[in-house]
Amino acid sequence: MDSNYNLTIKLPNIPNIELVAIEGLERMGEYLGITNEKIGEARIIVNEAIINGFEHCGMDNPYVNVEFEMTKEKLTILVTDYGKGFDPAEVETPDISRKLGSANKRGWGIKLMKSLSDGMTIESGPNGTKISIIKNLT
Amino acid sequence: MSGEFNVQTEIRDNTFLIRTEGYINNTAGERISKLFSENSASEIKNAIFDLEKSKVINSIGISYLLEVIELLNERNGKIIFVNLDPSIEKTFKIMGLFQFAQVSESLDAAMQQLA
Repeated sequence: MDSNYNLTIKLPNIPNIELVAIEGLERMGEYLGITNEKIGEARIIVNEAIINGFEHCGMDNPYVNVEFEMTKEKLTILVTDYGKGFDPAEVETPDISRKLGSANKRGWGIKLMKSLSDGMTIESGPNGTKISIIKNLT
Repeated sequence: MSGEFNVQTEIRDNTFLIRTEGYINNTAGERISKLFSENSASEIKNAIFDLEKSKVINSIGISYLLEVIELLNERNGKIIFVNLDPSIEKTFKIMGLFQFAQVSESLDAAMQQLA
């Protein structure tokens, strides 16, 4: 049976703190011999999940928890914030043709996380949001 | 991994060249967009982005790159990305960015595409 490697980090909302989680992810991936391609994709997913978390965490709970569980075959990512939550159903799927020419060019996070992963769920409510993501590594 | 970001720009044959180094986040993206709008006169129709030394980017940083694409579209110009990390190239594909920009394997190849 493959070994599981776990990493849990509580990130404060300060500039570029997402790089700390990404560095942990890269070190675990390197140790387990995961390809650069898969780690590169996981890097984008993790970054987007953390940015999303900070966007919703609010000033009262300016922390985001990040948990990784990695084997040679699979990465599980859990990103939790304790903010006011949001309704994922109300998030519009972005379209680049409409984004160009519009003042709001943001809103790509969920689409990227979904497209680059092998499964994603979002649980969100007034006490926070948990994003759970599976990424196959083989 | 450092969050430090550096950018170099150059104008060659009416093409704006941008070489980045480091994490392209919101502040880096804003810096790129501002550099482009302040330093590219209207006769500049094309831009080449060399991202060889930027392995990490986020969607907020990319949203500022869309501003540059938008401006060049208005001028009927072209934008070419070179030396993209495969994960960044895949991200751009997912976003549909290559409907409005191109990718090339090197700076020389990109310059030839624009010639």
